[in-house]
Amino acid sequence: MSLPLMKNYINGEWVESNSTSFGDIWNPATAEKIAQVAYGTKEDVDQAVKAAKDAYWDWRTTPPLTRARYLFRLKDAFEENFEEIAAVLTTEQGKCIDEARGEVRRMIENVEHATGVTTLMCGYTLEDIATDIDCYGHRQPLGVFAAIVPYNFPGMVAWWFLPYALVTGNTFIVKPSEQVPMTQTKIFEVIDEVGFPEGVVNMVHGSRDVVNGLLDHPDIEGISFVGATPTAKYIYQRCGETGKRVQALGGAKNIVAVMPDADLDAGMPSLITSFYGCSGQRCLSGSVLVPVGDVADELIEKFTAAAKIMKVGSGLDEATGMGPVVSAAHKERVLGYIEKGIEEGADLVMDGRNFTVDEYPNGFFVGPTLFDNVKPDMTICKEEIFGPVVSVVRAKDLDEVIELINTRGFGNAACIYTNSGAVAREFKYRVLPSMVGINIGIAAPMSFFPFGGAGNSMFGDTKAHGQEIFNFYTDTKVVIQRWF
Amino acid sequence: MPLENFGSILNFAENLEKQNQEFFATAADNPACEQYREMFTQFANDSGKNVKTVLRTRRENVTEMILEPIRDFIREPYCEECAEAGSMSAEDALATAKRLVDKAERYYTEAAAKIKALPEVARALKTISKKHKAHREKLASL
Repeated sequence: MSLPLMKNYINGEWVESNSTSFGDIWNPATAEKIAQVAYGTKEDVDQAVKAAKDAYWDWRTTPPLTRARYLFRLKDAFEENFEEIAAVLTTEQGKCIDEARGEVRRMIENVEHATGVTTLMCGYTLEDIATDIDCYGHRQPLGVFAAIVPYNFPGMVAWWFLPYALVTGNTFIVKPSEQVPMTQTKIFEVIDEVGFPEGVVNMVHGSRDVVNGLLDHPDIEGISFVGATPTAKYIYQRCGETGKRVQALGGAKNIVAVMPDADLDAGMPSLITSFYGCSGQRCLSGSVLVPVGDVADELIEKFTAAAKIMKVGSGLDEATGMGPVVSAAHKERVLGYIEKGIEEGADLVMDGRNFTVDEYPNGFFVGPTLFDNVKPDMTICKEEIFGPVVSVVRAKDLDEVIELINTRGFGNAACIYTNSGAVAREFKYRVLPSMVGINIGIAAPMSFFPFGGAGNSMFGDTKAHGQEIFNFYTDTKVVIQRWF
Repeated sequence: MPLENFGSILNFAENLEKQNQEFFATAADNPACEQYREMFTQFANDSGKNVKTVLRTRRENVTEMILEPIRDFIREPYCEECAEAGSMSAEDALATAKRLVDKAERYYTEAAAKIKALPEVARALKTISKKHKAHREKLASL
């Protein structure tokens, strides 16, 4: 039986790539091939950019409120297709169905936020900047933008950008992850129903050739990227060379500190979710757990007890607390880090290697894993593992925690569990990462706040969503005016 | 079987309401229950609305920050095996209806308490609980 082939969506039509290179899409729980995707070509990119460029002028002259009405219709359509999108997402990515639903919700929230364009895109004016001279600034769209998005959130991440680009009058191209292209394909089926003008929103599947085609294309004004740090750095540099706007969000090594006064019982559910939710494949996942002072033994005991009762299995089973990782290759990568941790002398308290789920013996599962007595210079404390592996580094005080956080190179997120307002304030004041959780394990900004890190976790100066994103997608044209 | 997360609580609610809706709709069509047709039809319609409320609540409130496990809540006390309502006597249909709405009311009350950290969800569950309470009182008054 032939597998479904994911098609590109260009100029309001589903089109097949002329590529001769294809990739397989897997169900990570069952390890079965479920679809195929063409690794698109530069010609596919050229076709999409031409469609987007041709559509631009009519779209930018469409009143903002009219553009917003397309998004209102899209929101309604997403609500109607909510469960179907979530089910496709879980099937190809592996995360739990509630996690997939949460992702679809966050996607819709960005659509909702973008509909505030008539306020958020307003410019500003000042009379009498000199005698009889007034000045005003308009925010104008720029042209064609594109997003290159990762496998861990196949639905949501493109929507940190797309609705804002469209509502401000730009046209758009999405390049989904080649590992999980089905979700965005399902989403584009919904877009197709809503009936945007042809060419306003496009999707090209593929891998490196499509990425480079987008980065180098002279008619693309800006690129949004989310993925691993080396790729983010490459994209930032290449966009600089071609004069594009760029926001490139990279990886993370998030530290979660637990102070001696923390309420462990109240915090435990969110701690578990922080480290093991989405099987650790979040850029906001906790990776290093840092008990401070004498709380360590009690914390580890309670944490491992809670982790052991968490059901690992297919994400489509509603009782599952943690699904598989995305691919066989990624499973091997995570297992490699566990081996490295053992080799470098950390104490393996919970071992997720050789973990099997009876109903899904071939699935890409890694069990919840925890290392104790990890040292700051060990590989598992420095590199992004992106799996359900917790590294416990015991610290004597808050200064040691902050030193650890600020020397990781990454600066995405940091969290602290404490009952002290003073400690929490000092923590949030001194840490480098841009997203801080206080008694929150996943410091995920909602659509109306900016998302993005510091250090090696982000390259560029404008973060995803929030109010700032309206700056990324517009140029402020300043008019200085005098009438005689 | 445990109800240990947000999704499982609302999935169970969805299934509970669908079961009730089917029971009441079938009972309303049962000639032996002619005298209760209007009430059973109303109950079936209400369950249909409850399904929509549950689905909307799930869609709008399931975000990452609230994907936290819930403890000590299992579905068995709230499950009710229904016989085929189309062939029941009016007396049996009423007795079954009482058990269904009683368990539903208790389920939503308990679930709202378990999920109180999410006020919007708790509010929706309490609202549905009140509807089942009204049905229970109506049945008790017959």
